[in-house]
Amino acid sequence: MSAQELYALTPLAILGLGSMALLMLGAFMPALGRKTLCLIGAGIALAAGLTSAFYSPEVQLAGGMISLGGFSLFFTTLSCFTALITLLFSVGYTARRPLGDEEYPALVLFGAFGMAFLASSTSLLGIFIGLESMTLSLYVLLASNRADRLSGEAGLKYLVVGAVSTAFFAFGLGLIYAATGTLSVAGSMHAISASGSISNIGLAGWAMLLTGLGFKASLFPFHLWAPDVYEGGPAPSVAFLSTGSKAAIFAAFLRLAFETGAGWATLTPVLWAMAALTMIFGNIAALTQNNIKRLLAYSSIAQMGYVLMAVIAAPSSGGSPAVFYILTYVLMDLGAFGVVASLSDKDGDLGDIGRLKGMGYTHPFRGFVLTICMFSLAGLPPTAGFMGKFGVFYYAVKSGYVYLAAIGIVTAIISVYYYLRVAVYLYMTPADEASAGASMPLVPKADLSGHAALALVAAAILLLGILPGGMLELISAIMGSPPY
Amino acid sequence: MQSGALIFLVLLPLAASVPMLFGRNDRLTRMLTLMVTSVEFGITVLLYYMLTKPAKASGPWLMYVDTSWIPGYGIRFSLGMDGISMLMVTLSALLFMLSVLVSWRSITERVALFHFTLLVLEAGVMGVFLATDLFLFYLFWEAMLIPMFFLIGVWGHGRRVYSAVKFFIYTVSGSLLMLLAIIGLYVIHGRQTGNYTFALESLSATTLDPILAVILFAAFMLAFAVKVPLFPLHSWLPDAHTDAPTAGSVILAGLLLKTGTYGMIRFAFPIFPQAAAALLPLIFAVGIIGVFYAALIASSQTDMKRLVAYSSISHLGLVALGIAAWNDISLSGATLQMVNHGVTTGALFIMVGMLDERAHTRDIAAYGGLWAKAPVFSAFLLLFILSSLGLPGLNNFAGELLILTGLFRGHPILAAAAFAGMVATLIYLLRLAQKLLFGPAGSAAEIKDLSARELAIVIPLAVLVIVIGLYPKLLLGPIEGPVKAMVQARGIIP
Repeated sequence: MSAQELYALTPLAILGLGSMALLMLGAFMPALGRKTLCLIGAGIALAAGLTSAFYSPEVQLAGGMISLGGFSLFFTTLSCFTALITLLFSVGYTARRPLGDEEYPALVLFGAFGMAFLASSTSLLGIFIGLESMTLSLYVLLASNRADRLSGEAGLKYLVVGAVSTAFFAFGLGLIYAATGTLSVAGSMHAISASGSISNIGLAGWAMLLTGLGFKASLFPFHLWAPDVYEGGPAPSVAFLSTGSKAAIFAAFLRLAFETGAGWATLTPVLWAMAALTMIFGNIAALTQNNIKRLLAYSSIAQMGYVLMAVIAAPSSGGSPAVFYILTYVLMDLGAFGVVASLSDKDGDLGDIGRLKGMGYTHPFRGFVLTICMFSLAGLPPTAGFMGKFGVFYYAVKSGYVYLAAIGIVTAIISVYYYLRVAVYLYMTPADEASAGASMPLVPKADLSGHAALALVAAAILLLGILPGGMLELISAIMGSPPY
Repeated sequence: MQSGALIFLVLLPLAASVPMLFGRNDRLTRMLTLMVTSVEFGITVLLYYMLTKPAKASGPWLMYVDTSWIPGYGIRFSLGMDGISMLMVTLSALLFMLSVLVSWRSITERVALFHFTLLVLEAGVMGVFLATDLFLFYLFWEAMLIPMFFLIGVWGHGRRVYSAVKFFIYTVSGSLLMLLAIIGLYVIHGRQTGNYTFALESLSATTLDPILAVILFAAFMLAFAVKVPLFPLHSWLPDAHTDAPTAGSVILAGLLLKTGTYGMIRFAFPIFPQAAAALLPLIFAVGIIGVFYAALIASSQTDMKRLVAYSSISHLGLVALGIAAWNDISLSGATLQMVNHGVTTGALFIMVGMLDERAHTRDIAAYGGLWAKAPVFSAFLLLFILSSLGLPGLNNFAGELLILTGLFRGHPILAAAAFAGMVATLIYLLRLAQKLLFGPAGSAAEIKDLSARELAIVIPLAVLVIVIGLYPKLLLGPIEGPVKAMVQARGIIP
């Protein structure tokens, strides 16, 4: 391994070693509080993110396990960003609802390491390692509020579902390896679709892979775990699960899609149906939710449908809209869960949507950020979500998936209703005295780091909504230069 | 150098809106907003004066500005102003200025947020009337909904949340389908020419398969028809109007509805001439049914605001007929009528709002004999009612006459039917005048006459009603050129 290659691994090393260092720090300096540890973790994530964004050379590692091209670095930076924001949200949250001591920030960093590794992997084995190190952290992160039974339940549910999907995924990898004899993503994907369509064993392997990916990315019909897990898990952990893990999974998905080449056409009918049903089901189920976390869970299921639509079109039209959409999704979902985390008091996470009544006035900043995120998730200008949806629909139409785009538009119209509901509660429904007195003794006060993170996210959403040009160019440059 | 003024028109309210958000002093916020909207109005009037003086005929636009915005998708930030947009922009600036005055006493809660919303909305409306890039147009078109949603939902009355959500869902459904059509058109044009662009002029030149053209045209028209609104997509309008605060109703009736007809004139018809011709019978049918149906419903309203709201649907049905006939007379009439309707209906909503502020009811039966109690108020109200029903010498007459004449050219029977619709309008408006102004005093409390502030609101509108009525050339002059060009560009399509 040359010095340059070693240098290229710096961001991953910072995340991995930083995670270990935090554990040591907690063990040897117990005086450091939970808040300080989270802040240190955020600092490590920031350092890793900056390194990967600005200082990392683009190299393909000799071993072939991972590549550190523009695509990988983009997602590594995104994972670090997600971890940074999650930890900033956690600072205030963990003071009210303890999320464990040093292990919490350490696991967030380790999770980010897994996400970055997953997004950078060019080998089937690498994908598996990344996926596992990421989900392993998420199991614990979801269950990290030991005082809350719901949190434990969420962790367990995710563990069961995660284990099953891992089994499918591993079996799929095994089948593809058996069929092709290589673990390289490019090699194996080319080999199974050498004849122009995917071979039978390859198809069986892909079916298993899709099952695994579908579970992790909560695509229909593998989405059923999401609402329960989102509802039970601590809000910052859920933010991390909902944004970071899905971004990384779709990064791997995109890589697989690109390498499949001609065989992709064999898979598109299934993916088409999955995307359509995910959008339809997620958006319709969200309509009736009265718990904000469940609403966001169904919303994020639906959002995955839009991402999948972009992934389907990716091999023929380029993956930039998918990547841009993932980026905007990460921002807006982080923002939404960040507000939920910030409004959660020590008795429990913010659940009932009715508790948002009048909060646009009593807590103008958080109300504003949540509103921005809702309008962005609904895909309305001038937010990043609109630019993202536009790109997705544009590429879908361009690649000939007009009906899928039409389904997407119709379900987007449906989704406007439940996103508006949140705005209605925030600004148009006065808080009624009775429920305000009973269920909400005190809304947590502003905490600096959480608010800074929210401000950053909201600013990014507006910036990408109004001036997306630079980011679009960056992404298309990344996607234009293989290896991804 | 002048063209920067267009960007300024959009950015001024937007930039000014942010400080309003942090206003702690209500009076100061109102004053500042009034100042900003007045400056905006001043600029539009100045432009109007400067650009109509010499008969400028260089190119289709009086002013044009075009800069790169999102190069990756070929999206440009291009604003253009011709006579038609100039009229709309000036009307918008005027109505927004008056809206601040209208809300001076009636909006007492969340004043800072209200003025923020108002200014953001102004930026959106200006953008819609100026954008010549379809993507940019769409962006403003959608962005405009959000502040309107808040205006109705936060400061409205009655079932304000229901009405606000209904308004939003209706309009968003139409517009998202239009987005798909815009994307479709963009892709088709890009494939044909290799130039992926949203510029109106390029997209108008796309050759389309006839059936596809009809589908795309229908999607555009759906978005615009919901906004206008044309029968049978109008059901959001009475609710939204009734529950909106007065300023919201003024802007909704005066401007947002016009964005629909404006969209037809600027985008739908010029881009898809053949499809428009193919769907002409449908548009005519929908327009004429709207004229009668809304007049019929208006006749049985007991709520003044609802009555005026339904009268809007009826009037705009006629405007849609004028647009669909697409000859220079009818199109000029339709454009003129868009301004007239904005002035007159805006004024009616303002006066109804004033009554509501005084007596806290909008029930027509509660009023009567106003002429004896508040003669100045009554005189103005009568003037606006007479204007609305098309009394010769007042503004609506000029517009309606042009539309009917233009319509008569190719479609005499339709013109006759539309004329009958005008007569139906007489019924409910005269009934309104008679019940409110004359007869025995109603149950409503003592009605005070107009204050100085209120006079400052209604006098400019009254002056416009009379001036346009007597000298419509003031508005017809600037639109003559663009209307001719548009009619010629479409050529003769059977």
